[in-house]
Amino acid sequence: MARAEPPAASFERRVLRSAAEYHYLRVRLELPDGVTRPTVAQFKQLVVSALRELHGEVGAALPVDVLTYEEKTVSAILRVISSGLVRLWSALTLLGFYQNRRCAFRVLQTSPFLLALAGNSRDLVLD
Amino acid sequence: MSVPSLKRIRQVPRHLLVCEKGHARHPRSRHAAHVWDHAYNCRVSFLIPECGLLPEVLKSTIADFGEYYLVRNLSVHELVSHEFIDAFVKKGSCYALTYNTKIDQDNTAALLPNAITIDLTDSSFHPDSKKHNRVLWALKDKKPLEFDILLAWYHTGAEESTVMSYFSKHQIQALKPKITFSTIRDLQCPVLDSNELEGKPEESCSTEELFEWLGAVWNQVSLDNKSSSFLSTYCCPQPNTVVEKAFLCTITGFIIPEKITQLLEQLCCYFGEPKLAYWLTLTVHGFADSPVSWRESEHGFHKGGENLYNFVIFRNLDYWLQMAVGSYDDCPP
Repeated sequence: MARAEPPAASFERRVLRSAAEYHYLRVRLELPDGVTRPTVAQFKQLVVSALRELHGEVGAALPVDVLTYEEKTVSAILRVISSGLVRLWSALTLLGFYQNRRCAFRVLQTSPFLLALAGNSRDLVLD
Repeated sequence: MSVPSLKRIRQVPRHLLVCEKGHARHPRSRHAAHVWDHAYNCRVSFLIPECGLLPEVLKSTIADFGEYYLVRNLSVHELVSHEFIDAFVKKGSCYALTYNTKIDQDNTAALLPNAITIDLTDSSFHPDSKKHNRVLWALKDKKPLEFDILLAWYHTGAEESTVMSYFSKHQIQALKPKITFSTIRDLQCPVLDSNELEGKPEESCSTEELFEWLGAVWNQVSLDNKSSSFLSTYCCPQPNTVVEKAFLCTITGFIIPEKITQLLEQLCCYFGEPKLAYWLTLTVHGFADSPVSWRESEHGFHKGGENLYNFVIFRNLDYWLQMAVGSYDDCPP
């Protein structure tokens, strides 16, 4: 016997204001030539030590997920709890050294919606 | 450290996520209106679970997305000239947006088919009127504003598009949207109940969980991490099922609402025949540097220029719609 389809949904609208649990950052680590590119674990460790350097042990305990990592370009998508966005971003901004060589984190795109990071019109090259 | 500083360190930029549910065949359903109202779209993508091969009708809908144009060093006053209005604005739907301008740094201009602020179709905007002359003076005097402009023109008439010949004195390129297809095997998909936007514990996932999961899929994030993992703890929301395969398609370029509406309708018709999938999704990203998001609502770029929407179309043609905007945007209608 065929399963009956459920009745059609009634209209409903919800507006969620600043309610995203997480924020997402697409970042790239700029390194000078000759520096071995970090593995994903080393990259994560670098993020943790950047947090420790600026915000101490409590800052280092901030849960940050490395959702994607591309070793070739040393770029990643990070996820952090929304209340930790300022701490993470400031820590990445002020990180100046990797293996005693100058480096810089570039935040390429940030959003409370991971889906927004899938498309960036500023990267659209038409010609 | 004082309390106000502690509060600021935990602040996040304001953002909105509007979630709607309804039925696509309801006579008063507004799902199509939301598509029509969102003029400037740079990326359209859809995901169909349990689908390995795209039906022919969907293939031809995508192939029929048409061309758009990139006109270099075009003066804005040429878009308000009567030759342009008569050739394009009055004969169809004309969309234009400056290319490679950052709305938080540069001047930006855009043209909507219903022409806002300077209403090109207004009867008082005829060639000898004070209004017309004043507008032209403002745009031409001193240093005329020039931009590289993306242009698209939709018309239902039989004649060929004359955009290339009209702008032949400028550097103009006709471009086709870029289309990519892919298939994912053994994909964990959230279980959804179209009547439960907030999800039901142990039974279905919420609209926010679906929205994040979709972001994970399109960004190729691993969906299967352990909570003890050092690198990432993200995993597919529960409850979920594993589908053998899922079809993904992405279209990028300057895509107008007319084409997205046709695609949405064909995706609704996908369930006209029995299918294994319970739902499919259609995601549309707006231009980060567009001056408007929905209708004439001002759009801005604070930490990000997101203005995107996503449909989940269910087998019984119920739909969910999520519309997401950032800090400098009005609430979507």
